[in-house]
Amino acid sequence: MKTTIHSPIRRREFFRSFVGGSLLMPGLLSELLADSALQTDDPLAPKAPHFRGKAKQVIFVFSNGGVSHMDTFDYKPELFKADGKRTGAGGGLSNLEKVLLKPLWEFRPGGQCGTLVSDLFPHLRKCMDDICVIKSLHGNDNEHYNATLGMHTGSFFFSRPSIGSWVSYGLGTMNQNLPSFIALAPQMPYAGTQIFNNDFLPAYHQGVRVVGGAEPIANLARRSSVSGLQELELGLADVLNNRHLESRGSATELSARIRSFETAFHMQSAAPDAFDVAQESDDTLALYGLERGQSDGFGWQCLVARRLAERGVRFIELIDGSSSNNWDQHGDMAEHAIHAKRIDRPLAGLVRDLKRRGMLEETLVVWTTEFGRTPGIDGEKGRGHHGACFSSWMAGGGVKGAISYGTTDEIGATVAENGVHVHDFHATILHLLGIDHTRLTYRHAGRDYRLTDVHGRVVSDILA
Amino acid sequence: MTASMRLIASATRHLQQPRIVSLVLLLFAYSSSLGAEAPGEFFRGLNLNGPAVTIDGQAWEGSDSQNYACQDQAFESQDVPLVPATDPERAKMIRSSRWGGNRIELTNVPAGAYTVFLYVWEDNNPEIFSIGVNGRTVLASYNSGSAGHWEKLGPWYTTAREGKIVVTSQGGAANFSGIEIWKGHHDGQPPISADDLAFFEKRIRPLLVNNCYECHSAESEQPEAELLLDSRATLRRGGVHGPAVVPGDVDGSLLIAAVRYQNEDLQMPPDGKLSEEEIADLERWVKIGAPDPRSTPTKHAGKKIDIAAAREFWSLRPISNPIVPNVRDAGWPANDIDHFVLAKLEEEGLAPAPDADKRALIRRATYDLTGLPPTPEEVEAFLADDSDAAFARVVERLLASPRYGERWGRHWLDVVRYADTAGDNSDYPVPQMHRYRDWVINALNHDLPFDEFVRDQLAGDLRGGASEEERCRRIVATGYIAASRRFGSRVNDYPQHLTIEDTLDNLGRAFLGMTLACARCHDHKFDPITSRDYYALYGIFQSTRYPWPGIELDKRQRDFVPLIPAERLAELEKAQRSRNDEQKRLDAEVEKLKKQLENAKDATDAEKQKLEKKLKRAERRAIKHREQPPLFDTAYAVADAEQADDAAIHLRGDPARPGEVVRRRFLEVLGGEELPDGYEGSGREQLAEWILSADNPLPARVMVNRIWHHHFGQGIVPTTNDFGRQGKPPSHPELLDYLAQAFRDGGWSIKSMHRMIMTSRTYRQSTAREELAVSVDPANQWLSGYTRRRLDAESIRDTMLVVGGNLDLSPAGPHPFPPEPSWDFTQHKPFKDVYDTNRRSVYLMTQRIQRHPYLAIFDGADPSASTGERMTSTTPLQALYLMNDPFLHEQARRVAERIMHHAPDDERRTAYAYELLLARPPMVDEQTQAKKFLEKARKLLQNNKSAVADLEVEAWSAYVRSLFRLNEFVYLD
Repeated sequence: MKTTIHSPIRRREFFRSFVGGSLLMPGLLSELLADSALQTDDPLAPKAPHFRGKAKQVIFVFSNGGVSHMDTFDYKPELFKADGKRTGAGGGLSNLEKVLLKPLWEFRPGGQCGTLVSDLFPHLRKCMDDICVIKSLHGNDNEHYNATLGMHTGSFFFSRPSIGSWVSYGLGTMNQNLPSFIALAPQMPYAGTQIFNNDFLPAYHQGVRVVGGAEPIANLARRSSVSGLQELELGLADVLNNRHLESRGSATELSARIRSFETAFHMQSAAPDAFDVAQESDDTLALYGLERGQSDGFGWQCLVARRLAERGVRFIELIDGSSSNNWDQHGDMAEHAIHAKRIDRPLAGLVRDLKRRGMLEETLVVWTTEFGRTPGIDGEKGRGHHGACFSSWMAGGGVKGAISYGTTDEIGATVAENGVHVHDFHATILHLLGIDHTRLTYRHAGRDYRLTDVHGRVVSDILA
Repeated sequence: MTASMRLIASATRHLQQPRIVSLVLLLFAYSSSLGAEAPGEFFRGLNLNGPAVTIDGQAWEGSDSQNYACQDQAFESQDVPLVPATDPERAKMIRSSRWGGNRIELTNVPAGAYTVFLYVWEDNNPEIFSIGVNGRTVLASYNSGSAGHWEKLGPWYTTAREGKIVVTSQGGAANFSGIEIWKGHHDGQPPISADDLAFFEKRIRPLLVNNCYECHSAESEQPEAELLLDSRATLRRGGVHGPAVVPGDVDGSLLIAAVRYQNEDLQMPPDGKLSEEEIADLERWVKIGAPDPRSTPTKHAGKKIDIAAAREFWSLRPISNPIVPNVRDAGWPANDIDHFVLAKLEEEGLAPAPDADKRALIRRATYDLTGLPPTPEEVEAFLADDSDAAFARVVERLLASPRYGERWGRHWLDVVRYADTAGDNSDYPVPQMHRYRDWVINALNHDLPFDEFVRDQLAGDLRGGASEEERCRRIVATGYIAASRRFGSRVNDYPQHLTIEDTLDNLGRAFLGMTLACARCHDHKFDPITSRDYYALYGIFQSTRYPWPGIELDKRQRDFVPLIPAERLAELEKAQRSRNDEQKRLDAEVEKLKKQLENAKDATDAEKQKLEKKLKRAERRAIKHREQPPLFDTAYAVADAEQADDAAIHLRGDPARPGEVVRRRFLEVLGGEELPDGYEGSGREQLAEWILSADNPLPARVMVNRIWHHHFGQGIVPTTNDFGRQGKPPSHPELLDYLAQAFRDGGWSIKSMHRMIMTSRTYRQSTAREELAVSVDPANQWLSGYTRRRLDAESIRDTMLVVGGNLDLSPAGPHPFPPEPSWDFTQHKPFKDVYDTNRRSVYLMTQRIQRHPYLAIFDGADPSASTGERMTSTTPLQALYLMNDPFLHEQARRVAERIMHHAPDDERRTAYAYELLLARPPMVDEQTQAKKFLEKARKLLQNNKSAVADLEVEAWSAYVRSLFRLNEFVYLD
């Protein structure tokens, strides 16, 4: 990590400018700096993992709607022979047998390793030497909402803390001037804010939603254009708060609150800086498929993810699509092309950019979706929901590249070998970060809760 | 089936059709209760379309029988090959059936208990339907399979009502072929032949007894995998891995797989493989259909609770009548509470803090009881009142304020996870929910005794009332149960067991401080609650009709309870029906005109315009008619279900794996009272009485602890929702009992408890604790002073409104939801909105799925699960809100204008700002700072004149914003 890490020196500078702005009390500076000693009780201070993990942070990409596995990463020659007669799992709510539907895209080998990827992802295909495809994921539910909730919280019905909140809780963050868990979600996914909610974990671990545009985070922009006025206000509050604190002994909750204003003040500039992709070279912008001046789209999300990762944000989630515009192609599979086009180049750009900057080793990139799609036809030319098996991939952060893990049957209807349940997927992500998923617990309402509930198995075959 | 099973079943079906179908058959076959009664006797067989036949040796009546009524169409197709094949008589019966409507009324049935079986088949394409017996769904989302598939469904147990048994289906087109009825309970097995019996007795029974019974019978200490192999029913129902035997399917039977040692995880018997001969015997037995004479289902008694030992745990012991302890510093206590607290302090070598100053005290008390700051005038009046009773008078004034109910009602709404939406995947709005919210607030304001408060919420609908108004009020109170969380998007296989779990989870925490939901899947690991306890209570709520708030696949409300006198109901419902007919007519008119317009391609423009105009008018009429307010008000409330019934235990919490049926009753450790035999209601009234029984120490303890918690920021038991072993024990057990006893003795009056607590000297201590006390008791559990507290989300927002002079105190009423007929919410486009209001925060519209943006930032209550204690987190997002949110800027401007209006000069304005926001005057140097601040602010504003409308207002607004961010503003001393 090369930029803005919260250090005592920066802190000192910050207060200098701060107090300089208000000029209220000459003794304030030393008083505030003495308060730095309290830094250690910060709930977001970096914490030691259970063991040495290869990954330090996660970029978690979630494609809404259910991406078809047999049209993307899970090559099924038998399906290409679909003759309009043979039947298989057909999806929809009844999941009746339906006529098999032929995939619309050819598969070709990618990278040195030759992992097969369909023509939906020509750019990503070139990165397969760094990617581990998991073809045998499976979950508990066939509804978008529940499967999306499950993929994020391990619970398919009840609200529980998101995986990002768990990671923030387990490891803290490396940059106190930005939230530890940021969700780049211009639009809402299925199940809404629950997807990046801290639930019963303390609110510091809440995923902060970034929508892009002029005010990417709520209340990040100053309301008053009068320069120096906010500093003046904060300066007065600081003086009064410190005096209040003094008369009440050393109360950590009071000093923590004083500190939160400093962090917030700094976030006003640190966060926009992280979101400002204008600082990037033309070459980098092109890598993500971005036009200069563009501050939206999935390419923007991917590039900002890299910038946040550089700044030490622990868990960065990218929401691709929304609950109403996404990969849910019941009617016509051809529309998958629209969605793939949106994310293929940026995702490939992200993997390459991280790699060339030497960041991929410590940054785990995860791409997933809530479920796959059925081998059988749904609607006119579409596919139904299919949680019984689907594909995802991981790159960097201690994952073996150039491999595929798990298999499905000849038409992609069930897991054939080495199934990876959503709980196993989570256990593996935590393991890569140096966290034992059975020991990352939080006592709530009389019970120790875990991301993986009472399940989960680390898929050790994919660890580098 | 659960979602996961459904998934697996559907995914594997095409690969292993025969096995899955038979597995499904078995699961369904046992999806009703199994008692331990003697096997039943054949009562009647009915070939619904065709002649009398003989099946399994029993004489069946034909369609000319006088013992049934059915309007459905007859249908026959004798050429379709049946799967599986069967004997000719049965095949003939199956292939002639009735369909369309699907309502069979069996008549001339003497009173008593019966077992029903239904033959269905599929002649062409698969259909999905549900089956009901006497109005109760016995089988949901049944898939009839492909052409030729047939099944004998059941057994379903029922009782004859008025000489009838009614079998119906809903959903897709079902083919009903025949009905078979047995008296009493019968598990549907054909009689066993003498040869088979001999084989079983000679070869199978001894084998099972010698090799399996030790771990898999009713006599086992704890049956492994919840599998009992000592009766036909339990063996076929199976344990946690599913049915042990699928008759006829050797390779598909787990028992065979286990004895063959064919997979690593499941090898039985564990200490050595059976002989080849024994395995062959078992295989042969399964192959011939697993004939088994052991017709009486066995059951394992389950975990035995040592009641006496369990009731030794502190929270379950009877409430003691503790002696008020003596203290050394006899001059300190103001009332008995202080004796308990001081005795403990003295024991710990600590001393109480000095009394709080009057300003701190009135600020504390006012926030405590109303969630709002005292006005400068109220502070003045209190300071001026030198009498001993001054503070007691303040407490009385606050208790009498309508703001009290808004504050303390909110505490209860936290506990019951109040929300204005249902929580399903589309988060349907529940516009009627506010009635319950208002009921809670009113109940608190009127000091409704807590026992009545409990009765009304659990069984208000069954209680009637002295007046129509009271009757309706009590119905509304059951919104407590109705508000249980909804799940998913589906209708037919709606996971009602999860909604009931949410009810039980909340009921346990709210009234008993118990974590009941842990016992859904297994006996509670820590507390004396068994799965049987859980399902004994479950039956009560399974026998309760929950209103349907709408869900993605069935978007309209139903089963809401009308709030009108019973005698007017018929008339109003009739009016509603004619209104609905009128709506249909208007909609049809619109459709007709649309068609006309479509077909009018060749018409002239003028004609088209005329048609368009007509269409527009018709549409307007239809919309106007649709959006009329309803003819009568309804409540989101519950009623008893049409048929009440005990529930079966769900093995491992899976409703698709029903175990034994348990009688509805209260928790065994709390007395275990049962509903009487043949009781026809849900049992909610009894449940309320069991909870409130004089022998149950929990509700009084739990409630007084909640009250204490909100006064001191920490309960005597810190885990307010968990009085079990995983919770924390009380810091002052005697005080807790003293208060609980006083609560009961005082007629369960909550306001009396406030009086007692607030007039104690303990409550009136300052936050300035001795250094020693801070170091030995950092969490202040011994109460050597008052614990400083941050205001909760509601109080912060309400304060900004009240000091801004724009808090709206008019009655809140409903939220501005879109009208119900327009609802089209799906998980793709869920309901999502935020309604701005200047009312108190308790009236903010709260969604289950989308947190309210403000409440989410400031640790608001969880709208999905009970919140006993709010967290107090400190985050930069809160700071950003207080720096940049438009609401805060607007309120600061309002306060600025208010103080400018109040006084002419900076000094007096500053003083007023302090009085308003901090309930105290500024100190001298604070005045100086204000002065300097204003000077500098004016200068800055002067330099940016173009951006400033009114320099003075802006300068003062900046000053107020600064004060809004003070710790002193959001913390109570």
